[in-house]
Amino acid sequence: MTVTVKTLNDIIAPPGAAASALATEEYFINMGPQHPIAHGSLRLVVRLDGETVREVIPVPGYVHRGLEKMAEHLSWRQIIHLTDRMDYLSALMNNWAVARTIEQAAGLATNPRIETIRTLMAELQRLQSHVLWWGVLGMDLGAFTPFLYGFREREVIGEIFEETIGARLTMNYIQPGGLMDDIHPDFVRKTKQVLAYLKPKIDEYDTLLSGNVILQERLRNIGVLPAARAIALGCTGPVLRASGVPYDLRKCEPYGVYAQADFDVPVGAKGDCWDRYCVRIEEMRQSIRIVEQLIDGIPDGPHATVKFGARIKVPEGIHYGQIETARGILGVTIAADGKSDAPYRLRLRSPNFSNLWAVTELARGWRIADIIAIQSTLDLVVPDIDR
Amino acid sequence: MARVNFKDTRKETRTLAGKPVPVVVTARFARRGRLAVFADGLKSLLSGMRLTFGYLARPSAIVTRQYPENRATLKLPERFRARLRLKFDEHGYQLCTACRLCERACPNASIRILTRPGTLSKNELDRYIWRLDSCVFCNACVQSCPFDALEMTGEFEHAVFDRRLLIFTLNRYAGPPAGVLLKEPDEAKRAAAMEPRDVYGGPVPLNGADLPSVKALAVRPQADPARQGAAPAPGVPA
Ligand code: SF4
Ligand code: SF4
Repeated sequence: MTVTVKTLNDIIAPPGAAASALATEEYFINMGPQHPIAHGSLRLVVRLDGETVREVIPVPGYVHRGLEKMAEHLSWRQIIHLTDRMDYLSALMNNWAVARTIEQAAGLATNPRIETIRTLMAELQRLQSHVLWWGVLGMDLGAFTPFLYGFREREVIGEIFEETIGARLTMNYIQPGGLMDDIHPDFVRKTKQVLAYLKPKIDEYDTLLSGNVILQERLRNIGVLPAARAIALGCTGPVLRASGVPYDLRKCEPYGVYAQADFDVPVGAKGDCWDRYCVRIEEMRQSIRIVEQLIDGIPDGPHATVKFGARIKVPEGIHYGQIETARGILGVTIAADGKSDAPYRLRLRSPNFSNLWAVTELARGWRIADIIAIQSTLDLVVPDIDR
Repeated sequence: MARVNFKDTRKETRTLAGKPVPVVVTARFARRGRLAVFADGLKSLLSGMRLTFGYLARPSAIVTRQYPENRATLKLPERFRARLRLKFDEHGYQLCTACRLCERACPNASIRILTRPGTLSKNELDRYIWRLDSCVFCNACVQSCPFDALEMTGEFEHAVFDRRLLIFTLNRYAGPPAGVLLKEPDEAKRAAAMEPRDVYGGPVPLNGADLPSVKALAVRPQADPARQGAAPAPGVPA
């Protein structure tokens, strides 16, 4: 059997004549792999006519670490720590996705305490992730102050994690059958403090950036993603919801204790950059709402139902589980042979990979500067694309 | 009023796959005249400025920490995962029995346990080698230890000039754990069973040993991080 490998040269059409009376022609530039907006090493090959974008071809793979392959050599517990390194801003949710899939497959039960703490942690991290996204979006579009403010708020939430989990980025906290450690005695008090601190800050974001006429003009009506295309491209998370599709696993297939919490799914009206921006801002408010409702009622119980050293037995077969991370649906497919302590094959469906390809449709016809706005509002985390 | 009123969100219920989903539709732009748009734009810039300059006037609201100037007062949470340490009891005897469970739990072989036949027990710890250079601080080793013999400490300043300084021998002595030692009433015999171990050295590649064209490490004995929990030893290649 012969396999034809397509190279970039095959994909990219030769530069055609530019739409101009002058003797010009189209040309290519590389955005990345080292580019301030890439937030990692992502290369975009851009075909340009003057400053107008004719085509964007993403070339991922610069941060490929082969996590899925590595997982085949690690035990069920050990693969959790790899997932921290995909979408590092949703590390806890990644942990949860894998842990939950293993639990479902192996039939491990958890208790309400574990599920409540997981939900709280996931929502705090969603907040933390969106806060950082907001700051970085500001910086991408030329406003440096939001970047500092975003990090300021991120730090405050990070301190809660630091206290309970002992890590700031690579958490490895949510384990199959429980949690690495119980919450810190100060967790509830600190979290309430942080919520009280954060609420006015999000209004401040509106004053500083959302209300800013420059930002509005750079986002409004730019890069419209119609709902049908969003679905066809496999976009999930805020990108899909901004196009008006209220698909949120927390609502549609509630896991954790989301069913107990009262919250709304933010959706956009049009699907442009502005809607993607607003949806995330609104998601922050909803996350605060969820945490507020759950923080006082953490049930009692042990923080793990399976001892750390216990061997986890996953029956033979293919198992799938999914979770809504800060960027969309993370799907975990596990093929287990029923004998060994490691997955036979692990496949991760990462939200950023699908969201990335939206840029190919969104950027067409806009200017170079709009690629920045589009990519910022897609909120890509590159290690999650490459895995 | 700005062109967008952020309070102008709309709550409604949509159906997705036959299930009702409560949604909140985010705010959009209102159609307004040119002059109003200009005035709003100017106002938005000014109110943003006011916020920024407000922080300039009230620097107490800023959370910058002056590291490393604040080193003396900087306190990390007690669970913070930075440097691995073996635990010792009040006599200075280690709790580690060399059962190797941590070695097996470690996802990237950052732990290497060398054992030897002992005088007081059949098998005892020779060297507990921990590679900080490949450790990901996942805490699996600490969690897996059935004897509670390991802990993570908040000591996070790990920068050194020689990679070999990142590979530590964590045990202070080669010998049996506290449980075995305390059964032996004779102090002299206990002492004889314990052979001192330094922080660097041993058969693991790079563990302070000779490299082609690089001499073995000579470490100042008193500046010993694993023992005092102090700043890393500025070990100097001889
Ligand atoms: S923290 Fe994790 S990587 Fe580091 S030594 Fe322990 S088990 Fe290994
Ligand atoms: S540290 Fe604990 S788990 Fe590791 S060898 Fe020693 S006793 Fe066993």
